[in-house]
Amino acid sequence: MNRPAISVDGLTRRFGRFVAVDGVSFEVSKGEIFGYLGANGAGKSTTIRMLCGLLRPSAGRAVVNGHDVVKHTWEVKRSIGYMSQKFSLYLDLTVQENLQFFAGAYGLRGQLLSQRLEHALELALLTDRRNVLTGALPGGIRQRLALASALLHQPPIVFLDEPTAGVSPDARRAFWRTIRQLAHEGTTLFVTTHTLDEAEHCHRVGLMAEGRLVALDTPAELKRRHVPGALFTLHPAGGRSKELLAKLRQLEGVLEAQPFGHRLHLRIAAERDEAWLASLLEQVGFGEVGFDRTEPTLEDVFLQVAKEGAAATEGR
Amino acid sequence: MKGFLTRVTAITVKEAAHILRDPRVMIFALVLPVLLLLLFGYAISFDVDHIPLVVVDQDQTNASRNLVESFTSGDLFEIKARRSTVDQVEPLFRSGLARAALVIPEEFTRRLAGGREPSVQLLLDGSDNNTATVALGYAGVVALEVSRRQMPTSLSREGAPISAQIRTFFNPGLRSSAFIVPGLTAVILTMIATMLTALTVSREIEQGSMEQLFTTPVSRLEIVVGKVCPYFLLGLVAVLLVLTAGVAMFSVPVAGSLWLLFGVSALFLLAMFIQGLFISVATRRQALASQLAFITTMLPALLLSGFVFPIDNMPWPLQFLARALPPSYFIHAIRAVLLRGNGVEAILRDSLAILLFFGVFLLLTVRRFRRALN
Repeated sequence: MNRPAISVDGLTRRFGRFVAVDGVSFEVSKGEIFGYLGANGAGKSTTIRMLCGLLRPSAGRAVVNGHDVVKHTWEVKRSIGYMSQKFSLYLDLTVQENLQFFAGAYGLRGQLLSQRLEHALELALLTDRRNVLTGALPGGIRQRLALASALLHQPPIVFLDEPTAGVSPDARRAFWRTIRQLAHEGTTLFVTTHTLDEAEHCHRVGLMAEGRLVALDTPAELKRRHVPGALFTLHPAGGRSKELLAKLRQLEGVLEAQPFGHRLHLRIAAERDEAWLASLLEQVGFGEVGFDRTEPTLEDVFLQVAKEGAAATEGR
Repeated sequence: MKGFLTRVTAITVKEAAHILRDPRVMIFALVLPVLLLLLFGYAISFDVDHIPLVVVDQDQTNASRNLVESFTSGDLFEIKARRSTVDQVEPLFRSGLARAALVIPEEFTRRLAGGREPSVQLLLDGSDNNTATVALGYAGVVALEVSRRQMPTSLSREGAPISAQIRTFFNPGLRSSAFIVPGLTAVILTMIATMLTALTVSREIEQGSMEQLFTTPVSRLEIVVGKVCPYFLLGLVAVLLVLTAGVAMFSVPVAGSLWLLFGVSALFLLAMFIQGLFISVATRRQALASQLAFITTMLPALLLSGFVFPIDNMPWPLQFLARALPPSYFIHAIRAVLLRGNGVEAILRDSLAILLFFGVFLLLTVRRFRRALN
């Protein structure tokens, strides 16, 4: 029983002449947290909507929990939970009424229903506030409740479409703790996001750009492949950063130099170290400039991939 | 289907909670119908009485005064002014102070006494068609009465004139309220029912909850059934209120079975709810849905239902449209039961027609649902 939780092959969706998702293929294994990353309009939500059976693919195939999303939509719906940024709950219903409704919609009843209801209330930390109107709860708690309601029927696969949009950093951290716990228990999680630091929580990340999946790997591997070398942040004195930038860009061993606010981001070949950089700065007359070693982020990867993509388009 | 009932119940309970939390819905469903009935019931009346009358008595005799007395003894005319010449009548018509004028010429008594045919003149303001017609008919009756009393000799000579004895069945007083209230009930229920459900689906599509619902194993039919149920219960209460108000306020006779009346109303409600749902699914936007619901219910219910204008007198395309829509059948049925005291067999055809409409629109709604999302 090692079939993937989600398997997508050449998935395509057109809206008229616009291609929202263009021949996307990937697999997600059981218990994995799969991050689906991209700017707004890159085709993330369209992909999720096809995987949930809300939208028919124009071409290609998608299999969720062993069921084809077109031929066996009902089996797919029984095996997934879905939570979106756009709507999560009915604000004019109480916490308990919302949970009861979704439990009923998933076909739960009797003792199983009350059991799962209590469990969901605990998960959302709302056991003592079950009769509060949902609209009166702050956004972060509402998101927690929405997640709990998407998990009521204990689905093996959960789709989260921008789950932490508009949520405080604290609530966001707590939210990701829950996500990791779920994955640990064997639930597969498919999460879309456009915040890059959130993608760091994922086991693997797929990068979407203009409907195409342009990169797919673990965050560490993505960084190693697309942002090789050592990264440094330089702190030049005000006014001279432009001059320094121009000089650095002409030097051997400098892979990339970018302004970043008042600072500079510098990437040098991996075999070079701090001492080499210090002497380099001395050499160009900027010996007084301080610097720190930094780790590459997925943001760097994203910028790099976007640049490679643009270059590839130009080359064609 | 496994779990059908569980899922429908879940939707019904949720929808009921929405309704109970929103006082606007309750007011719309329960207070507005009764208010409308009172408003329309008192305002729309085809009964004519207290027509303002100006008397031009140029004869000034006992006989002429008797004639005026005969005219005004009922409730129909009310003397508003007296003038001495006919010329003075028209300004009164223009200003609206009078709608009718009784002109008795100088030689009235002389002609009467001489056995020659006396004549009086009744002038009417024709701009109010309905009032004029009624006044005209009444005047004829009064004139006949008076001439019989005044000229017994001349009449007996020629033999008694044939007098027609008219008896109106089912609405003996020909009171228009007995006629209007059933029709009004149909108009109000049509409007309320369609408006209520027209918003439920479009609201969920707008706020995105419909998409959430569609990721669960809930089917479109389950959503439709689950959504109609609570509104149906609410609608039945509204029916009860409107009928009670109609009977209590306007003393509409209840000749037939109340249960039958309730049953056919329930069926009609279902048809209107599904029409509202269809509009909701087809438009997907609350603003558009409510406008469309208003136009497609209020106008046909008022104009094409036989409420005001008889369907048989319409040009054939309108007749066709009227017969395609449930209000005409409902009005026919409710009048049959309420006024004529008919049983099931008399309204079977109407009920089947309404049921057919319900079935067709249920199918259309469920089919249309899928495309509503994309």
